Order: sequence, then C-alpha cells, then structure tokens
Amino acid sequence: MTFGRGSYRTVVVGAGIVGLFTAYHLARAGGGPVLVVDRGFLSSGASGRNGGGVRQQWETRGTVRLAHEAVQAYRRFGREFGFNIWFRQTGYLFLAENATELARLRTVHDVVSAEGLSSKVLDASGVARLVDGIAPGAVVGGTFLESDGTLYPFPAIWGVYEVARSLGVEVALGVEALGIEVRDGRVAGVLTSKGPVGTPTVVNAAGGWSGEFSRRAGLEVPNVATRHEILATEAMKPFLDPMVVRASDGLYFSQSMRGEIIGGVKVPHRPGTARGQPTSPEFLPTMARALVGLIPRLGAIGVLRAWSGFYDDTPDGFPVIGEDPRLPGFVHANGFGGHGFMLAPATSRRVAFVVLGQPTDLDPAQFSPSRFRAPTAAAAAERLQLG
Amino acid sequence: MRGEPERRFFFRGRPRSFRDGETLLAALSRESVPLLHRSVQYHRPQGAFCGIGHCTGCLVRVNGRPNVRACRHEPAEGDVVSTENAWPSASVDLLAAIGFFAPGGVDTLHGLRRPTFATPIYQRLVRRLAGTGEPPTSEAARALVAPPVDRSCEVAIVGGGDAGRAVAAALVARGVRPVVLERRLRPPAVAGADVVPATTAVFLPAPPEGAQRRFSLLAFAEPARGVRLDVRSVVLATGGYDAALLFRGNDRPGVLSADGALELAGPDARHLPFRRAVVVGGGMRTAQVIERCGDSVEAVVALGEIRPEVVRAASDLGILLYPRSLLLEAVGRRRVRAVRLRARGSGSPSTLPCDAIVLAHRRVPNSQLFFQAGAKMDWRPGVGAYFPNVGADGTTSVPGLFAAGFVAGVAPDAYSSVAELLASAIVETTARAPTTPDRAVPPSPPTELLGYYRELLRVPGHGRWVVCPCVDVLLSEVEDAVRSGYRGIEVIKRYTSLGTGICQGRYCLPDALLLLSILENRPPSDVGYITQRPPVVPTPLAAFAGFPAMTATEDSP
Repeated sequence: MTFGRGSYRTVVVGAGIVGLFTAYHLARAGGGPVLVVDRGFLSSGASGRNGGGVRQQWETRGTVRLAHEAVQAYRRFGREFGFNIWFRQTGYLFLAENATELARLRTVHDVVSAEGLSSKVLDASGVARLVDGIAPGAVVGGTFLESDGTLYPFPAIWGVYEVARSLGVEVALGVEALGIEVRDGRVAGVLTSKGPVGTPTVVNAAGGWSGEFSRRAGLEVPNVATRHEILATEAMKPFLDPMVVRASDGLYFSQSMRGEIIGGVKVPHRPGTARGQPTSPEFLPTMARALVGLIPRLGAIGVLRAWSGFYDDTPDGFPVIGEDPRLPGFVHANGFGGHGFMLAPATSRRVAFVVLGQPTDLDPAQFSPSRFRAPTAAAAAERLQLG
Repeated sequence: MRGEPERRFFFRGRPRSFRDGETLLAALSRESVPLLHRSVQYHRPQGAFCGIGHCTGCLVRVNGRPNVRACRHEPAEGDVVSTENAWPSASVDLLAAIGFFAPGGVDTLHGLRRPTFATPIYQRLVRRLAGTGEPPTSEAARALVAPPVDRSCEVAIVGGGDAGRAVAAALVARGVRPVVLERRLRPPAVAGADVVPATTAVFLPAPPEGAQRRFSLLAFAEPARGVRLDVRSVVLATGGYDAALLFRGNDRPGVLSADGALELAGPDARHLPFRRAVVVGGGMRTAQVIERCGDSVEAVVALGEIRPEVVRAASDLGILLYPRSLLLEAVGRRRVRAVRLRARGSGSPSTLPCDAIVLAHRRVPNSQLFFQAGAKMDWRPGVGAYFPNVGADGTTSVPGLFAAGFVAGVAPDAYSSVAELLASAIVETTARAPTTPDRAVPPSPPTELLGYYRELLRVPGHGRWVVCPCVDVLLSEVEDAVRSGYRGIEVIKRYTSLGTGICQGRYCLPDALLLLSILENRPPSDVGYITQRPPVVPTPLAAFAGFPAMTATEDSP
C-alpha cells in the first residue's frame, strides 16, 4: 500500500519549507491525519536551492510583521527542532548606487522602523565598513538591519520533516499530485501518481509548480514560475558578515558559515519550467561581472558550482494564502516569489488556521486568493523581490 | 642544475629553486614534498593525491591568491608560496587537536545549538575555523585579469590526449581545422589543428532547439583567461581518472592516484616521489605504473584477481603480489610508512612497509560535460560509473555532440579507426549510426566492486574512515543519514555535505554510489546521481567576468 491510510484530513502538496511547516502546525493543532506528497526528493525544490537569507526589511508593514515572527521562530529552531540551522543574525545590507535608490530604501527604512526594528541608513563609508574590499565609488549608501540574517536551509528542512513525522504526519516522496477529485462542488480527494487518496482539504504548497497544480484543479491563477540562478565559490576565512543586496540588478550574496560566497543575480528571463532546472549560459559571466565589479579581489576566487531554482511569482509580489472561493477545500499557500524560507514559519501557522476554519490576522487585500479578480483601487505591491 | 640559471621562489619564507616547465609541486617534490595541506575540519595531514588539479591535497597560497593547486602552477621568479588553514603551519598544526578531542567527528548538524545565547559565539568560532584560505588580495585579483577569447569554429575537441589527437588528425585529413582544448599545461601539437594548452572546458549547456543549433562552450585557460567557443560540433575526448578508495588514512601524504604518480614521475621517471610503493589494482593501469616506475614498486595489492600480464611484469622485477586483498589502513602519522591489509573473506591483517600507496584499481570516465549537455547516459556496473550512450561512429543522443576515446568506451587500439568514422560523421552530417550497447568496456579489473565494499562495511571502526576528504565527511555520517531514513545520493549529499568541496564529488562519488547501494539495498543505478553542475572544475570569477554582457535569446529553453 502506497499510503498509510485511504483518506486524510488534509493533503499538502509540496514538501518544501512551506508545506512541511504547514503540516507541522496542523499536526500540532490536532488537525491530523496529514499527508504531504512531493514529486521530488526532500529539498529538491526551491527550499533546497536558495541562498538562506532571512530578512525583515519590506515595503509593507504586514510583511515586516510576518518576517519578524519568522525570525523569532528561526532563533528558537535549534531548541525546538533538534537541528542546528546556523541562523546567523549579522544583518542584511541593501546597497544604493544613486540618490534615487537611496530615497527608495529610506521609505523601506521608515516602514521597518515604524514596526520597532532598528534599521539604519548608511552613507558610503558606513557601507564600506561592512563590506571589506568594496570598490570605491560603487555605492552612495544603503540600509542595514542587524537582526536580519542567513541560515543553512537543509537542516531546517530535516528538522521540520523529522518533527512533523514524529507528530504523525506522513510524507510521501516521489509522489506527484496529478489533480483534484471534486464532489458536490468541493474537494473530495487528490489524484496522485501512486493512486487516489481521499481528503476534504488540499493545501497547494508546490512552490514553482503551484500554478501548474492549481490549473490542474481547474483554477485559473496568475502564478508564474521564474527561474533564478545562484552560485557558490570556494570557501574562504570570514571577511563578510551581512547578506548584501543590490536592487538595480538583483545581485545578492553572503558568506556562508563554511566560508563560501553564495549568491545570485537576475539574468534575462527564459520562460518555461524545465525539470532539469539547468544553469543558463548567461548566468556565470553576469554574476561574475556583478560580484567582481563590487568587490574586485573576488576575481581571484574560484566558482565551485552554479545551480538554479524557481520563484513562484505573483503580479503584486505578495504570497497567496487562503481558501480558494471557487473551490471549497482548496487552500493556497504559494506565490512566495522567492521568499518562502523567510516567511514560512509565520505564514504556515496561519495556513493551518485557514485549514482548521479559524480566523487569521492576514489582510485579505494583501494575501487572499480572490484579490487578483477584484483588485482594490489603491492596491499595494511588494517590489523588493530580492535575495 | 645542468647549467640552467638558478631561479627561485619562496616557500614559507625560504628560497627554493625551480626549473623551466616545472610545476610548483614538481619543484617541491624534487627534494621531498613538504606537508602542504591539512584537512579542512579535523586538520589531518593531507597529501597531493591526484596530481592533475582536482583534489585538495596540494592547495597553497601563491602571491596572495588562495587555493592554488601546486600541481597546476608553474612558478615565476620570486613567487611567494605559503600553506593555509593550519596554525602555526601545515607541518606543525595545533588545530589537529580538533580531531584528537572529537575522534568520532564534530556533529555540526545537531550539535553546537544550545544554549541559544551562546550560538553567536559558536558561529564566530566555527566560521574562523572553516574555509581553506584567507580571501585573495586585490593585487592577486588584478594579476589575473586577461582579455577573454571569444570565437566561433566548426569543430571543437575537448581533450588533446591520444583519442582527441586521433580525431583531430582525421578531421585535418578531411580539410577541417579543429580547435583542441587541452587541460595539460604543455600538450603535444597536432599538425593542422589549433591546440589550446592549459585550457579546461567547464560548461557545455545543451544547445537551444532549432535548425541553427550551435553549442556555446565555456572554458578557461590557466590561470584565469575566459574562453568561449561558438561551435557547430563538439567532440568530447575527456578521458578518465583514477578513482580514490576507502580505507583508514586514505588521504595521508604518500597516498597517490595512478594519475598523480605518473604525472609526478614524468615521462622518463626521473623524479619518482617514492622508492618503495605499493600499487593497488591488478589491471592495465597497474601495468602502466609498473612499466614506468617498476624499480620503485615493492608490491601489487589487488582488490580482486591480478591479470597475467601484470603478474609477468611484476615477477620480472621481483615485485610481491597480493591478489584478493582488503586494504585496511595507510599506516604513518604524517606520511605513509606502511599499508595494512588482509586477504578477502577472512585472514588476519598483515603490514607491508612502503613509502607510497598508488591507487590504480579503477579508472572512471570524465563524463561531466555529457551530463551538462543532456546526453543519454548508461550505467556500467563493471566500472561502477556512467558513460555516455555512444554509437559506433562516436555520435551521442545530442545532435552535434560526439564522444571519443576512453569516455566513449573505446579501447586504445581502436582510437584511430573510430576517429575515422567519427570525422566522417562530422563532415558528412550523416544520420546517427545505431547504438551498439555491448561495446568493449574500458579495461578494468574484474573486482566485483560491490562485494569489496560490502566486506569493507564489516571492518570494525570503518565509521571513522573519511569518505569525502575535501569536506571531511566520515563514513559514520553517511550511515547515520541512511539510518535516519534519508535516501538517494542527492539527499545524502545535502545531509552530509559529501561531494560539496573543492573536487565537487569527483573522488568521493564513485565510492559513495556503491556504499549507498549497499546501505539502501538497491542497485547503484537506483541511488541516483549528483547533478553535474558547471563549472567542471573551480574557475576563477575573473575568467567569467572578462566576457562582455550578454542577453538571452528568445527561443532558448
């Protein structure tokens, strides 16, 4: 028998950080039995392909609050989940190349400060003190929040996976969710590559493939999978503490606990979600130029490997969290736009509330699945889709 | 010095002499190689193992640039060379206490996380201890800046060994002038072909769909000149390399791959890095080592049987033979003094004094670029590795991509006849010849590799053996991961960090696939394979940064 049971209270599609945290919170709240299916191996999607950044600098206060809650959860992670995720709060540094960019960063700084976080606005010399070896004249300033940080994504996956399983969650890897079984206008089960399974609730936490899965359920959604690429260099002794981010070209990088520079940059979009997720010919030269242009001495360090993964983007840059009004029982936990790891501990708790029919504090204009069909006049947007 | 002018570099402050055309490692090994490297986590003495620019064993800092492979660097007058990640030095390293106090390894996955308030202190300490070298200096980076080579050509051949040169000659005879990229620093020329020396191909993406399919091949010339070829047909004659083997102390100075031994010996075996070596393996590669270095070989130890021609060559030179043996340990604290082994199946261990262990038991293909290009690959159980699926004329499943030589599964005596077929296929662009699945498997001893590893996993204390010397992953960590329910090489890699170091799994993967096959109780081909990511070897950012900005084409995948 493929699955432990014939039916579940909830089936979560996607065993990434969002899906696993959701299953964990459901199991803790007594919302079991829960089944998580994933077509790949553990950590094969974006949760195992990201740069490990966790920040609280956002353009909207709602997101700042969620991110702050996530930071607190990651601080407790080692104690609660038994794995060391090396969550290092050595800050996120946003770079501004000109006065316009600095002005824009200031508005973010104001939002972050209003939430009580001690963000700082830096001039060029302040930035140079944080980035050893930065090219003279590369920036005019930046913003810095020290309680942001980086973590090592893999042990976070193992930790939530193991604790969720110890709470009775069943995780079926290598099992693809093919579609939804609908009865009386609501979810009745999930069709998988290993046969059907009954459930009144399905959570779409499929990351880069969530748009595809929603469409398989007959739901038109605006989610777009965008490929992003990243590399790791040879390991060096520590010389860089913060995660460094530049909005103009989407450059971001940090130095990992092991000493590698890990980071990426935006390259021209190539449509499609090829399963192999190959590196593009443009990425290595583009990233090398950006990195060496900013810190010239890095030219003499070797690139070890490059890889890519998919962001699950939405038109306004906010995630989609909530039950789809067109199909009762179909719950979205997707559209994180490359920020699933940063927000998952906070958002997944709320996804569990949604599944259990309890109210959440999420602003529907910002997070609800129906916002795309009836956008409000003064809709906000999150444009800081970086690192 | 045969009248050569005295030229000098400085190793840890002391002047050492070098000759023209000599690598740093060769220069250092003329007397005896000083201890150059310590393992990254436990600071075991590590030695130059591969000799061909892949392993961690000879990484040094040269003129402010970290992680320079002494075996790939030809010194210049006044070069300043030092060792890294050791205190006070690689020869006397007090940080080895980490390995002494934590003999079972440091568990960075579960440990060092409590109490929460102490984690920033652990983090500062661990960061300081991690990393192979200090960051490069600005001067070191400036010295690497070189204008890139960006050109188009009809045919590129990757690999200027015997097979690559045979294809080049066959193409020249048909009026084509191929570009031959060769990794060796001083390769022989081929009349009528452009042989580009010291150049390593690092990335061959699958070509975009469409009628005008062309490959974009990324490479770099030492030390950091970017090379990009826009090319219609690519022939990969990338050959193979001698695999590592699991036993206690398998990265001790004095443990060498056959590649390394032959490279250091040189064509005339003038500067052998050993006097009484034990050669591991009973096949053709062992025969090659004996032919070149036979006077300095003490014994041949084979995992399985020993081929008759090796037996003959060995008995002529009075070399002892130990067929069907299990290697247990490289004995010696700072370098190999002896090897401990026992007969397969049972028997008590015996100790053979020696000053080197040369691994010639298993030669695996350099298949990385085939994986990158999306070629269909076949698992070959006899070798325990993936080879491209190749037609009789060298065609692969990717149009325009060809394979030649060892990596194509061709025996050396057939190189020139296959080269003729291959060159015709390129020039005439004929339809793909049918695949012949039962082609001559490259010569390798019938070692029943899986049986060997099964026996190895029953040796007491094997958990402390190092399965990945680049990142210092212990075999017990792999066993723990499997016991916790993690399955498949991709997940084990992410769980243990195995294969994420300098050599990117080149030396641990062939072992790990067989180990996991046994631990997970399924065939090695079901364990999966690590995605072969670019670049194939660590490539300085400076090499990529030299290219002008590009934009993606609309129709690319």
